[in-house]
Amino acid sequence: MQLPTQQVAVLDAASTDDPQRIEALAADTDYPPETIAGAALALEAEGLVAVTETTTTTVSLTDEGHAYATDGLPEVRLYRAALDAGADDTPVEMGHVIGAAGLDGAQVDIALSNYARKGYGTIDSGALAADPDANPDDDPEANALATLAAGDTLADDAVLDQLASRDLVTVSERTVRSVTLTEAGVTELMAGVEATDEVGALTPELLASGEWADVEFADYNVAADAAAHTPGKPHVLRQAAERVTDVLVGMGFQEMDGPHVDADFYINDCLFMPQDHPARNHWDRFALSNPARIDELPDALVERVERAHREGAGDDGDGYHSPWDEDFARALALRGHTTSLTARHLAGLADADVEAPARYFSVEKAYRNDTLDATHLLEFFQIEGWVLADDLSVRDLMGTFREFYSQFGIHDLQFKPTYNPYTEPSFELFGRHPETGELIEIGNSGIFRPEMLDPLDVDGDVMAWGLALERLLMLMTGFEDIRDVHGTLCDVGFLRNAEVVY
Amino acid sequence: MPVVDIDPDELRRLTGHRSKDDDELRQDLFGLGIEYEGETEDGEFKLEFEADRLDRLSVEGIARSLRYHAGDDRGVDIPDTNAPEWAIDVTDVPADRPYVTGAVIRGVDLDADALDSLIQLQEKLHATMGRKRAKGAIGIHDLAMLKGDTVDGDGTAARSLTYTGIDPDGDTFVPLDDDAERTPADVLTEHPTGETYADLLADHDTYPAIYDDIGLFSFPPVINGRRTEVTTDSRELFVELTGTDQWTIDRMCAIICYALDARGATIEDVTVDYPDRELHRPDFAVRTKHVSHDRIETLLGVEFTTEAVVDLAERAGLDATPTDDGYDVEIPPYRVDVRHPVDVVDDLGRAYDFNDLTPRYPDVNTIGGRTESSRLERSVRQALVGLGFEDLLNFNMTSEAENFDRMRLTPDHDAVGAAQPATIAEPYSQDFTILRTWALPSLAMVLETNTHHAYPQDLAEVGFAAHADGDTQTGVAERRTVAAVLARNDASYEDAKARLQALCDEFAVALETPPTTHPSFIDGRAATIEIDGQPAGVIGELHPGVIVEHDVEVPVAGFEFELDALR
Repeated sequence: MQLPTQQVAVLDAASTDDPQRIEALAADTDYPPETIAGAALALEAEGLVAVTETTTTTVSLTDEGHAYATDGLPEVRLYRAALDAGADDTPVEMGHVIGAAGLDGAQVDIALSNYARKGYGTIDSGALAADPDANPDDDPEANALATLAAGDTLADDAVLDQLASRDLVTVSERTVRSVTLTEAGVTELMAGVEATDEVGALTPELLASGEWADVEFADYNVAADAAAHTPGKPHVLRQAAERVTDVLVGMGFQEMDGPHVDADFYINDCLFMPQDHPARNHWDRFALSNPARIDELPDALVERVERAHREGAGDDGDGYHSPWDEDFARALALRGHTTSLTARHLAGLADADVEAPARYFSVEKAYRNDTLDATHLLEFFQIEGWVLADDLSVRDLMGTFREFYSQFGIHDLQFKPTYNPYTEPSFELFGRHPETGELIEIGNSGIFRPEMLDPLDVDGDVMAWGLALERLLMLMTGFEDIRDVHGTLCDVGFLRNAEVVY
Repeated sequence: MPVVDIDPDELRRLTGHRSKDDDELRQDLFGLGIEYEGETEDGEFKLEFEADRLDRLSVEGIARSLRYHAGDDRGVDIPDTNAPEWAIDVTDVPADRPYVTGAVIRGVDLDADALDSLIQLQEKLHATMGRKRAKGAIGIHDLAMLKGDTVDGDGTAARSLTYTGIDPDGDTFVPLDDDAERTPADVLTEHPTGETYADLLADHDTYPAIYDDIGLFSFPPVINGRRTEVTTDSRELFVELTGTDQWTIDRMCAIICYALDARGATIEDVTVDYPDRELHRPDFAVRTKHVSHDRIETLLGVEFTTEAVVDLAERAGLDATPTDDGYDVEIPPYRVDVRHPVDVVDDLGRAYDFNDLTPRYPDVNTIGGRTESSRLERSVRQALVGLGFEDLLNFNMTSEAENFDRMRLTPDHDAVGAAQPATIAEPYSQDFTILRTWALPSLAMVLETNTHHAYPQDLAEVGFAAHADGDTQTGVAERRTVAAVLARNDASYEDAKARLQALCDEFAVALETPPTTHPSFIDGRAATIEIDGQPAGVIGELHPGVIVEHDVEVPVAGFEFELDALR
């Protein structure tokens, strides 16, 4: 039969009656022990050798053990000094005896603690008494130390444990594998065993020379762990944004882009948000101090927006009965929602001319001065989408959003009528968490009011919705603390280990 | 969103749904879009709802809505009012608070619960429509404690009160919850309620004041006098409202009158005598909106008969009269949220129940796509990940200390990242005072946060940066920037350059790196990134001062350049 070279070497070196240790075989054959171990196990699997394991215990003296073997155990030395001082008759002052025994440092405590334990005497109020009947020559620990120092083995495990607990010896166990030739092995050897060529690594030389065809490749331990590798990875929130973008583009939505810092006019006034609405003066917006005001606003648009705020839209519309001041509308702020992009696009101020039918979206940052916690940061990604077409109905809105959310495994979408200054009708969207089954709010939607659309000169109906990307990501992946991923306090380990979103 | 506390027993009594248990009540409320948020210690429901239906800020208003929803009541209901006995004479009012309205209420039976409900309604109206009393403030008085001047003349109103403006120290009265005579100015500094609302009068030369024949009895929008305090013994009330907008205070007044009417009180008109006109209040005038039948059908996506629309309107508490192409719909005076016919369609939809509509995917064809800059950003991010960088997402807001100081940079340097930042007026904290002018400081902060993790840490970000720039439309120049750092025991300029070169090769642009100096980098190991001949950024080994400042113990090489340079 043909076998790899190292297996042939093991077969040749093994004998039927004299178990050979792996190390001995390695020395004989000039292979590393792990190679021989692998070869022996492979041969055992073929039934050609038997591998036996024996565990041997090796006991060796520590430095301290060696010292005591030479100088005597501290407690024994203390006892002998005590006898010399006559402590078997009357207790003697302790310090004197310790000095006489030549003990210092840690040895003092060691001597005192073992002295009483072994019955050499008692210690009371600093005076040492010695038991005249104690025999230091019979001390089992001292004798065991002497035995080990002489290189002999120790029979008494209890004493060995005691020495080990005093750190005077180290006990180590080794498993030794020995190899014996089986009868099948003998038979194969008699029949003749040839060595095949076996190589560790495939090299360019092997490939170029064609030798690869004649060699056997050594088996690797393919089940073993490999060294850790840290790849680069797209950010988990960016992955989620890409996923949402894929879905929306697939549904026919065109992406919007626009300024993060914008005039309140586009962030609020164009959305028919009254200037005395609590949210507009609320601390939750980030107004800018430099620059503080936009210079240019389109006059005709400003005039139409102001009229809508004051008089409403249509023949019998009502306005807000709230003050409206152009200077207030010029204030610059970080956008509190990306609906400002929608306003700019519908007003025809972005690159594209927007005409029905159209679908637009963005997945971009908005800013809110909210309290920081596990689900709220000052910056978050808003998914904003809208559809412009003739005669859109609430049913179209429901159908569109049901389709969008179903792409993320959220079915049973529920629509709760709500109020929003720039949409009517308006709906909060609720969906079931795919894992917990809990009903949670996952978006806000509605059909833009005429008071918003008329000043922007939009011909058609517009339905729109918005939600936080972070909320959707939490639903999709179940991760819990947004601070781990977004911002300079992020945990690189968390990002490296985050599961991919697709 | 407003939250009101409602006694469920009161709700049962006022709706007439006496046999409904708490669960059934909660279900009915949910049907109106009112969310049950829990119970108070006294067993009252805490109810939260949207800020449009301010007529539901009291148990009386919620009961009215429930009765319409259940079909117990239909159509518009206007309370009868009696002819006026009282007038409010308006003279020399403060310029910033020129409007007043009011009503007289007779035959009220206020037990403690009803009085609590009235006070709660007053407070909630202050908080919402009243814009914390700035736009409208309500005073309710015991009419029996008022003495009116007898007015000669046409006999429509026999007694009068006066709304006027007085010097801050022009008179004295005893305010509620107090024992001492104080001037209005003293109230603002010495009385807790006065201190709370003092800001509202900061710009006033004269303070609002209401007088009867005895003297000053109300100091709106701050506090009433103790003389006219309403108690459970009060049987007749005088309601006055002052504010900055007549329409707003008239609506608030109507909501209060409707609530008291629901408790069996009688409403009596009050004449408001402005110098140039006379108003009869409360204003219970019904407004009319014309809604086309076609719009109802297209917006709800359902076909209706005329009868069905009229029925839905009545169940919404409205009255619809068919016309040639639609309906004239009457809106009751307590509805402050109906501005446009679409609001009527929404009411019809709620009466129909939106949840009975069948969703349909709209038959609208459009082509989807991404912006060019978004496609570029995605490609660069993918290329950086391919080069082994961990893609990061940092905040666009930061502080001057992080953006400049800790990078050894100032806004006045002639260097990448140096620029006047856009500053935030009222930041959340000192950590978020500006928009970042570049992204490398964010990456340095991430290295600082993660010194306990294994190296190498190769981090990159494609993100937002901005600075103040008067030449742009908004005054802020916004751009996308590409930044990367390599933190490892043997990080060098060459490591960074090799990756930057690979990136430039992928986007087929020419890279040159002539030497430069930059405060954040080691002299002699920093270069300008020139892409296709144009300066676009900086590359180098981070200055040890920057590294140590961020508590990092390994060398760091990095680069940053404008995304658009790769176009």
